[in-house]
Amino acid sequence: MTSHRLPDALGQVIDRSQEVSFSWNGVELTGFRGDTIASAIAASGERVFSRSFKYHRPRGILTADGLDPNLFVQVGGEPNVRAGHRLLESGMAVQAQTGRPSVRFDVQAATGLLAPYLTPGFYYKTFMGPRPLRRFYQRTLRRFGGGGTVGEGLDHGHPEKRYAHPDVLVAGGGPAGIAAALGAAAAGASVMLVDENHQLGGHLRYGTPSDLEALDELRRAVVAAEEIEVINDGVVAGRYDHNWVGVVARSGAREQLIKARAKCLVVAAGKIERPYVFAGNDLPGVMLSGAVSRLIRLYGVLPGQRAVIVTANLAGDLAVSQLEEAGVEIATVIDLRRGGQLVKATGRSGVKAVEVDGRRTVAADLLVTAVGWTTPTSLLNMAGDRPHYDATAARFIPGDLPDDVIATGGLVGDGTTDELVAHGEASGAEAARRALRLRHDWARATPRAVVRPRVSADAPIAAPPLQPATHPEYFYGSTDGFVDYSEDVKGNDLAIAAAEGYDSIELSKRYTTATMGPIQGKLEVVNAVAIHAGLTGSTIAATGTTTWRPPYAPVTLAALAGAGEDPVRRSPLDDWHEAHGVARIVAGQWLRPNHYGDPAAEVRNTRERVGIIDVSPLGKIDIRGRDVPKLLEFVYTNRWSKLAVGAVRYGVMCGDDGIIFDDGVTARLGDDRYYMTTTSGGAGRVWNWLDEWLQTAFPEWEVRVTAVSDGFAAMNVAGPDSRRLLERVVEGAELAADSFGYMQARVATVAGVPGCILLRIGFTGELSYEVHAPAGYGLQVWEALLEVGRDLGIAPFGLEAQRIMRLEKGHFIVGQDTDGLTRAHAAGVGWAVKLEKPDFAGKPELMWEEAAGPERTLVALQPADQQLVPPEASQLVDGERIVGRVTSSRMSPTLGRSVCLAQVDTALSNGGAALTIRLPDGTNHSAQVLDEHAHFDPQGERLRG
Amino acid sequence: MAKYSAFSLFRRGLTGKHWPPAWRHHEMRPSYDVVIVGGGVHGLATAYYLARNHGISNVAVIEKAYIGSGGSGRNTAIVRSNYLTPEGSRFYDRSVKLYERLSDDLNFNVMFEQRGHMTLAHNDGSLRTMRWRAEVNKLQGIDSSVIDPAQIKELAPAIDVSDRPRYPILGALWHPPGGIIRHDAVVWGYARAADARGVHIHQATEVTGIGVSGGRVTGVTTNRGEIAAPVVVNCTAGWSSLISAMAGVRLPITTRPLQAAVTEPVQPILDPVIVSGTLHVYVSQTARGELVFGASVDPFASYATRGSLGFAEGLAHHVLELMPGLGQMRLLRQWAGLCDMTPDFGPIIGPTPVEGFFVDVGWGTYGFKAGPVAGEQTAQLVATGKTPELIAPFGLDRFASDDLTAEKGAAAVGH
Amino acid sequence: MLLIVCPHCGPRNSDEFTFRGELVTRPDVAAAAPEWRAYLYEKANVAGWQEETWFHVAGCRRFLRIERHTVSNEIRQVRDVADAP
Repeated sequence: MTSHRLPDALGQVIDRSQEVSFSWNGVELTGFRGDTIASAIAASGERVFSRSFKYHRPRGILTADGLDPNLFVQVGGEPNVRAGHRLLESGMAVQAQTGRPSVRFDVQAATGLLAPYLTPGFYYKTFMGPRPLRRFYQRTLRRFGGGGTVGEGLDHGHPEKRYAHPDVLVAGGGPAGIAAALGAAAAGASVMLVDENHQLGGHLRYGTPSDLEALDELRRAVVAAEEIEVINDGVVAGRYDHNWVGVVARSGAREQLIKARAKCLVVAAGKIERPYVFAGNDLPGVMLSGAVSRLIRLYGVLPGQRAVIVTANLAGDLAVSQLEEAGVEIATVIDLRRGGQLVKATGRSGVKAVEVDGRRTVAADLLVTAVGWTTPTSLLNMAGDRPHYDATAARFIPGDLPDDVIATGGLVGDGTTDELVAHGEASGAEAARRALRLRHDWARATPRAVVRPRVSADAPIAAPPLQPATHPEYFYGSTDGFVDYSEDVKGNDLAIAAAEGYDSIELSKRYTTATMGPIQGKLEVVNAVAIHAGLTGSTIAATGTTTWRPPYAPVTLAALAGAGEDPVRRSPLDDWHEAHGVARIVAGQWLRPNHYGDPAAEVRNTRERVGIIDVSPLGKIDIRGRDVPKLLEFVYTNRWSKLAVGAVRYGVMCGDDGIIFDDGVTARLGDDRYYMTTTSGGAGRVWNWLDEWLQTAFPEWEVRVTAVSDGFAAMNVAGPDSRRLLERVVEGAELAADSFGYMQARVATVAGVPGCILLRIGFTGELSYEVHAPAGYGLQVWEALLEVGRDLGIAPFGLEAQRIMRLEKGHFIVGQDTDGLTRAHAAGVGWAVKLEKPDFAGKPELMWEEAAGPERTLVALQPADQQLVPPEASQLVDGERIVGRVTSSRMSPTLGRSVCLAQVDTALSNGGAALTIRLPDGTNHSAQVLDEHAHFDPQGERLRG
Repeated sequence: MAKYSAFSLFRRGLTGKHWPPAWRHHEMRPSYDVVIVGGGVHGLATAYYLARNHGISNVAVIEKAYIGSGGSGRNTAIVRSNYLTPEGSRFYDRSVKLYERLSDDLNFNVMFEQRGHMTLAHNDGSLRTMRWRAEVNKLQGIDSSVIDPAQIKELAPAIDVSDRPRYPILGALWHPPGGIIRHDAVVWGYARAADARGVHIHQATEVTGIGVSGGRVTGVTTNRGEIAAPVVVNCTAGWSSLISAMAGVRLPITTRPLQAAVTEPVQPILDPVIVSGTLHVYVSQTARGELVFGASVDPFASYATRGSLGFAEGLAHHVLELMPGLGQMRLLRQWAGLCDMTPDFGPIIGPTPVEGFFVDVGWGTYGFKAGPVAGEQTAQLVATGKTPELIAPFGLDRFASDDLTAEKGAAAVGH
Repeated sequence: MLLIVCPHCGPRNSDEFTFRGELVTRPDVAAAAPEWRAYLYEKANVAGWQEETWFHVAGCRRFLRIERHTVSNEIRQVRDVADAP
């Protein structure tokens, strides 16, 4: 199996002392450490690596790197592995992704016979009828889709992401990129150098001996420069607004995302060798010159026995000498610069002969082309650049770049290694200058900044000229070759598309799917543009390229997702709940106790004795200052100016559109001290809203708003015995009904914890006290209450019991009983809207709502069958017309019947109105509107007791 | 129009003869009966139905780039009708019905795959909203119901219905008629059929002004010259505020990018369309094997379609929450389209204070799926001068009169 | 991820901020319905330089007036609302 290996030589990256065994389509093979999967397979003499997407044609090595469209393989459960890039690992089970039963013999290759009918867009023209058959067509077509198989056990973990703040980020580790990193570091910048290969050096890695010498020197300088962080086997996946740069650092199948805010980005992405379009250009054995250089020089793999080389540039010339050196027989060299011509390659499962210069046929198993370059301007495009076509260089050249992006190296022009290095070095120095300038600007924009970076006032550093070399324009010899290997699109297909009216490059791309495959056009786009331009009588320059979109190279979802989890918020009492058999419920970011086994029993215990619930997720806002009453008057719909010290009031908040967005209570704890609670979900929203009004509309008001939601544990002690219970643990406040009445607040010591806030309010409809204790002492208070209340029968209750009790009492929940269009009157809290106030948020809309009357009104509803609990969201109907819906429903353990709230058309909202409920099962049930929202204790005697 | 069929495909394959152009280039006439601004699915469908249903074919569709270059070619191609409000459901139900027979109508296979549409609920609140939608849908005769985790697993085995995720799945709204479609094909099919009926499609033509005189529209100015027209219809997305401003009409619209992304293809792993409002993600697998993802609109207003890294990160995180086995799949390409968001998440379709100037805009994140019905109804509006019942709830005047659509109630679970 | 140079906190990622929309002026509370609804709903929605309000919610919690280009997302001025007329 080593018959295709060449002797050891300088520059090779394989370590022959370390053998690596793996399997290819079930056959055990051996490669070396340092091999890519493809080089190891190629060393065994294999030529066919895949079958093409549409016609199932055999495909072999084309570029022998990560862009090779023919080297997508399945490795174990991992699909779409780039065999030209991924390093070989011991035990890898490598499979061809396409080809049934095998990649060498593929029965679906019969589709090749249908080629005349599988013209672009053929599926738009057929499979239309009869309609019942469409599902069958669709399922069948899906089986012809591409790609590997997502296997089991594919979890490579979710690596932590990290942030980086390099002054200069260099994309590309060829000579210019390395030099840019060195130049920037020398100018005092911190640098991140990202290269997609496993070793720095770009094309120098497989160049001449003097290239290797130069590279050695550059690598040593990089190692010596401490300010440079090198990411090998990485990719700059995207450049986003304000130089937010996504970098992916790979390690085999594992990828880590690095998010870098680069002050200056240097793009040194080099050049990508372009395939040539001609008949037979996809046969195994047709390779680009770079593939030949890489196979021979990096991996010591013999690419073929007898070669025809078609060259138009130095890279092709280099391949000729490297092939000669490797002992490959050179059948002929076709020099396009001297008028040579390539007609076609023939063969079945690989090249057998090449037709050149008119009618001359040359036997060969290897056809090497070197016809020109594509500039990967992707990152520049993402920065807003529109590259322009330079016909004398036969490639696109960067246009105008923003200030924080600089291009260098092969993207810009051609030169000797020294010239590339000089350009890179100066570009790096200039990037450093711009980065340091930016640091200074940021400090200046932040008057209170402590750090004042040194300013370098140097003038811009100009890079020495680097011009693209003159290159003949060779894109296609005939349109009978493949333009896009991944998508099996031929030049002829582009012709058909243009003739059918898809005559802009973007329409052509979409119709033929050329450039839409897994390598995103990096090899094919200019050829597609050239052919399209030729067909439509246009030029490459006028046609332009299609838009390059991020990411530059595909990124695993695992890397993008990272190890981050959505945060979970837990109450300070959470451990106690956990230890006491809680059943939890997800409530926004919170995990809350839903019940402790039997919610109905929790209701009964609270109604009959005393219960306690953890309400720590409530939003809590400390508001202080002389003008707090003005703020409350403005943000709530009701009156607040006369709130006495020690009093609590309920309020509804509406936006300027009059729509309810939160409700809660605010207590006045001292002359200038107020304490507001909000719904759990609304905590942040309300806090921000208060600040918004204060800062944007009423800056002259003296009010300080501080969110203290996490500073307090909150618990509600509810039930007829709640006062008796609290009397045992409260110091510093009189609890008797006549001195601490309903809707009153006190600051007191509870269970030895000073500074607790007591609010006598009652969402459950019971005599109840909300106790807000400093969070760190919350558990102490909670446990003390349970302990001293044992003889009273105290028991904890959860959210479900609370929801039942509030529903028995007819209290609504914002967002459940109201929706995105519910205003105050519709929610039945018109009584809390005081239009006589001069101004408040939402006043005009609420005024108009009151005048017109709301369309819908919230009511309490009683099904005629009192045991029926209509599922929430059941509709209320008049025939088939919707007249409302059930917003909340439960069986009431207290009343022994169902209790509901519903939104109904206002015309049907009067007490006694008869309604029909349509259940999800389609049955109708009658129900009646009640006079009051409260099903239980409508007079509020328990609450006020 | 050369008829497309398996037989004609076969015959042309034998002879090697090219098909005629699906649409033609025309000289611009000095005047048209109707000028439609915007060559996406809405504009082209409007033109097609004007010609087919109302015999009005002296119509120009003006497109500044190429047909389908805006939202029509950037959306995630999901079709469904399980909206929250009766008016929304009825409207989109009509669209689904038009889509179901569109391939036959247009003689162009738009590849509507009705694989079902599943909206996951991860908390009791969203489960309630799913039931709300299901119940409203049923009353409009739409196939829609709430299903449990076991049924979810059966329909989409890749989904993790265990209690492992941060937001475990409690149930889903299941809507069998929903599915995915080949969005470009819809655009091309309408363009071809409209062209065959005499409509002129002018690509690479940009509207730079709209003529208004005495409160009436008089025509448009383009980079290729003036066109006189008694009727101008604004069928743009992303640029609707700017086009309307040319006629002096202010819209209640904020433009926000909506991003989408696609993975490399893999063998079939997912049949229905999966949506999670809580996780802000939707996923489907195309016939080619790529997974197509979308999310919610960007956090700030912008006309930029460059995309962001944060989108890709959030998306991947949430996709792996739903389908933890996909970590090694690779994101291939991300892009963005522009969405014209209205305050109540309903479109704006109807007349404006300028006589003869109509709008079919404000489609937020749900414009593509409305293409056929919006085109049909706008055509009827333009042809008859009367607002059809299906679009009556979506007029521009509803904002001044505060008669907003209630779709906002379920906006968090869109797409 | 934009970079917003907060006048109080320095250069920060935009995910520390919330976007509050283009600059609008609240009409007098006695304004007629059309004016009020124009304030609530109508937008200039410019494609170009725009004055808008952002909130540094995960930073100094100050509301900021920002001039941003809505096509390029370039930011040319960031001020505290207290310093903006």
